[in-house]
Amino acid sequence: MTDVLPTAPEAQQSALPPVKKPKKSKETEVGRSGAMTWVWNTIALLIAVVMAFPIYWMVLTTFKTNKDLISQDPTFWPSSLSFDSYKTIFDDKDFLPALQNTLILTLGAVVLGVAVGFLAAVAVARFNFRGRSFFIVTMLVVQMVPLMAILIPLFVVMNSAGMTGSLVGVILAYLVFTVPYVIWTLRSFIVNIPAELDEAAMVDGCTQWGAFFRVILPLTLPGLVTTAVYSWIQAWNEFVVASTLLNTAGTKTSMIWLTFYSSTPTRAADYGSQMAGGLLVSLPVIILFVFFQKKVSAGLTAGAVKG
Amino acid sequence: MSVTTNETVTRSESQGPAPVKKPQRRGVFAAGQYIPYTLLLPAVLALVGVLAYPVYRLIDLAFQNVNRYALLAHPERAEYIGFDGFTRVLSDNAFWEVVLRSIYFTAELVFISMALSMLIALLLNRVSNWVRVTVITVMMFVWAIPALVNGQIFRWLFSSNGGVVDYIAFLITGDETWKHYDWFADPTVGLYVVGAAVIIWGALPFLVLGLYAALTQVPKELMEAAKLDGANPFQAFRHVTIPVIRPFLMISAALSFIWDFQVFAQIYSLRNAAPEPGYRTIGTYLYQQGIVSSRYSEASVISIVMILMMLAVLVFYIRQMLKIGANER
Repeated sequence: MTDVLPTAPEAQQSALPPVKKPKKSKETEVGRSGAMTWVWNTIALLIAVVMAFPIYWMVLTTFKTNKDLISQDPTFWPSSLSFDSYKTIFDDKDFLPALQNTLILTLGAVVLGVAVGFLAAVAVARFNFRGRSFFIVTMLVVQMVPLMAILIPLFVVMNSAGMTGSLVGVILAYLVFTVPYVIWTLRSFIVNIPAELDEAAMVDGCTQWGAFFRVILPLTLPGLVTTAVYSWIQAWNEFVVASTLLNTAGTKTSMIWLTFYSSTPTRAADYGSQMAGGLLVSLPVIILFVFFQKKVSAGLTAGAVKG
Repeated sequence: MSVTTNETVTRSESQGPAPVKKPQRRGVFAAGQYIPYTLLLPAVLALVGVLAYPVYRLIDLAFQNVNRYALLAHPERAEYIGFDGFTRVLSDNAFWEVVLRSIYFTAELVFISMALSMLIALLLNRVSNWVRVTVITVMMFVWAIPALVNGQIFRWLFSSNGGVVDYIAFLITGDETWKHYDWFADPTVGLYVVGAAVIIWGALPFLVLGLYAALTQVPKELMEAAKLDGANPFQAFRHVTIPVIRPFLMISAALSFIWDFQVFAQIYSLRNAAPEPGYRTIGTYLYQQGIVSSRYSEASVISIVMILMMLAVLVFYIRQMLKIGANER
């Protein structure tokens, strides 16, 4: 599991060989010399090293022995590998239940958010109706309401509905940020599917719903994946709302577990286990990024109104 | 169920090349103009439930005296106190300290992260392919780490006991005193240096990749033409590049502002779930007042002030987005 992460620093080495290839010379523009490219490369690599260092340090820490961990002169390379930190995490009886809660929560938020958002996106992209512009503008404004600011009333409302301490309440709360984003992003995907396509399908005997399921839905699939990945990341990493709404009862998400875990007196100084916990909790999102790299960056940067 | 019954009706009537926009159908559901509203209904219900109603409750609470959990549990004992809550919050020096700190901190974060990401994005246009792939890969990994974990990592990096930043500072300067330098002793250093470092580190991937993508949209011919006309690189950047990438610049600056102004998780975990007063920006302050101290009404007032401050800044962003949205259609 953990071998996913170290690829970041290693990527530099493995990518080294092609440097000598002068294939870029064709593209070289006026006033751009090889020497300058070399300088830029060095600066860029330096930035990559600085950016990657905290992650490297986190991964390294998880494998350090206790003796190395408390040393005032940290070593930049493990002298010997120790898996004690991981053992501590898996021995924690709260770790796996918290992970399970997060999984349920995230799946619920993704499925519900994407389904609800998709329907609305179809409406906005394919139909002209009174209040359409108003709805689009509202979606835009809604995304600007700071989550922090509605934390208190959200807690109050969920409290009076008896939903604090329940995962369902948190799943519903997450619709605040998933639905507007899904609508906004899927809208542009659906607009780009020519209406002639579903018309043609209907000429060929499809009902409107048939055309919807056989034409629009498959063609929107890439958009659905992008928004689902986004919603997944948001829900998985969310902390403030979950900790507020779940604090009263025994349910915890991984993020809450992580803060509780590291702030208890016995654990506060155990950086090895903290880093191991942090890494394990981040893995589902890291893996998503590895698999959907192109989609994530394209979807989030192009369509992102909120990330 | 009504869907299936209507479908059979539809089938017989839309045999011809019926356009989607105006289906010739009968029945309540199939009357055409109701379809979009039906599709919107779940979204509208959800957003009214988790957003509109809470915002109403927010305003309601701001005029009440619900500053203990007991009052929340027994709503009949809550009282309306008019603008007293606002007066109390707004005449509190601690509140204005937090607001000012938030403004400075946000300004620092937005400025540094935008400037840095612009420089890195420009740099990415000049490096060899493999270097670009390397940098982008690193960025993706950084991006994938949750904000909460970011805070923990940096707390460890900057720890005064065995922290690697202290050690690197010692290696560079040879000065032993660096080894136990406590970055968090002075909140000004802790927040504006370490706090800023965490948040900027986490924000860079989105900004760099976005700006880099935007920069690739700048037509090469335009740059060449500018150079032929005698523009120096800076002029070409100002008059060719900037106008082309302006939409993304606007959006990313606005997004940075939104995220940085309400930042919470990073500071919270950087200070091990108990940020000291000196680390209170509006996000952490709100949490402290509202959730930790159960001052629901006062926190509501703070929330309202926060929303108003953000809206004031974002009005121009909304207009910009509407323009872009209008072009898209």
